[in-house]
Amino acid sequence: MDHFIQLENFSKIAPYAQLFWQGLLVTVLLSLFTVVIGFVLALILALMRMSNVRPFRALGLDKDGHQKEEGFLLALSKFNPLSFLATAYVEILRSTPVLVQVMIIYFGVFGIIQLPSFQLFGFIKFNRFFPGVVALGMNSGAYLCEIIRSGLQSVDGGQTEAARSLGLTQKQNLRFIILPQAVKNILPAIANEFVVIIKESAITYTIGVQDIMSAVNAVKGATFIIIEPLLVATAIYFCLCFPTSKVIAYFERRMSRGDKR
Amino acid sequence: MATRDSLIQVTDLKKYYNKGAIKALDGVTVDINKGDVMVVIGPSGSGKSTFLRSLNLLEEPTGGSIVFDGVDITKKKVKNAEGKMVKLDIDQHRQKMGMVFQHFNLFPHMTILDNMTLAPIQVKHVDKAAAEEKALALLDRVGLKDRAGAYPIQLSGGQKQRVAIVRALAMEPEVMLFDEPTSALDPEMVGEVLDVMKGLAQEGMTMVVVTHEMGFAREVGNRVLFMADGKLLEQGSPEDIFGNPQHPRLQDFLSKVL
Repeated sequence: MDHFIQLENFSKIAPYAQLFWQGLLVTVLLSLFTVVIGFVLALILALMRMSNVRPFRALGLDKDGHQKEEGFLLALSKFNPLSFLATAYVEILRSTPVLVQVMIIYFGVFGIIQLPSFQLFGFIKFNRFFPGVVALGMNSGAYLCEIIRSGLQSVDGGQTEAARSLGLTQKQNLRFIILPQAVKNILPAIANEFVVIIKESAITYTIGVQDIMSAVNAVKGATFIIIEPLLVATAIYFCLCFPTSKVIAYFERRMSRGDKR
Repeated sequence: MATRDSLIQVTDLKKYYNKGAIKALDGVTVDINKGDVMVVIGPSGSGKSTFLRSLNLLEEPTGGSIVFDGVDITKKKVKNAEGKMVKLDIDQHRQKMGMVFQHFNLFPHMTILDNMTLAPIQVKHVDKAAAEEKALALLDRVGLKDRAGAYPIQLSGGQKQRVAIVRALAMEPEVMLFDEPTSALDPEMVGEVLDVMKGLAQEGMTMVVVTHEMGFAREVGNRVLFMADGKLLEQGSPEDIFGNPQHPRLQDFLSKVL
């Protein structure tokens, strides 16, 4: 009977080490770009969600300039199109599988927009890599938006009341009181999202991005060995994610030190 | 007593929730004069805090008006000096009303000194050295000058509330609003906070105080308001309110708390 793992298979896949190395680089680059795009997008979305743009505001006032008490016009006066769009985006992206999103971006959006086919660093196919980054960035933007928003809202409401009662404007309150306190709550969650992105990036192999999983596939196709390359991939992902989350935990502990006497 | 200038005129102030199903404030009319120490008492849920918080629009009233320094601050738009309708700048009015909260609401990520100088520097554009000098003088007054560099978490409840009071004073407000300032304190710390407030009253600061400290109301207040169910049921001097209560609700309330 065959063994589950055969040691000599590892030596058979050794010649393909270069593929794994390149796959590792692609995965790391993919994750880094995704985090940057996701974070910028998330900031914009979070600001849109918490903005106070109300184009129909005037409809909610009666002729004395008081706020109306009820009615359709009051509801309309509170309508914020920016917040509506951002909320719709976040909810749609969070309620559909990332695999579907990656496929739609690759076959849909970049099926129409033709990307130049050159190779970054000599081995990364740009017309596969770029759609992968866009799709993952759009997806993580939705999740990071919720992290940022909940971080801002986690600051006690009394803080805003105290700031506003001292005469600080909404902007000054955000800048001096809310943001500094929120960042401490947000940072660990953002770092955890980074670990999630590293793992999720494996899905881009379905559109031909040459990451770690695509190396596994290539080895499988050439040698008909499957379990051993998968174990190598497992080890690489573990070595990426485990130390990252440990480093995060360390910083989390350090930051909470300020909360003690 | 000499006639006093009226500072805030509250007329028929209403605050409804759920389209009027809950009436937190149901038509409160009262004048607050300069130098008044107005103490608001009443059972919980009577609308005392809502009334106080409406005065600087932390709660947006459903109806009625609050005229502060000649401007109705419940309006979204007001006439400016040239008679043009402009958007009401509520921040400008809030600067003139200091507020002290039950739970202190000091900024935990800042030192005591930074807590006190933030608003004077950012809002009034006082320069840093002057703001710090003033803050230290105020801290000295409440016996906390040596804690200027500490963070709020390192202070006791009573110390925090004393800082919160002088933080509001640093903006040189025309009126100080106190929302149950001693309710979250351990009993032995209540006195130190009340002493600071007593000192303020003696200096002539206009104060509106929501409290359960009947001793303070009787001793320091010059006017006492009794509220229940969102209505102002009785008002008068401390002697009248405590010595000769008229309304049955007030008599009932006093029999329970005294």
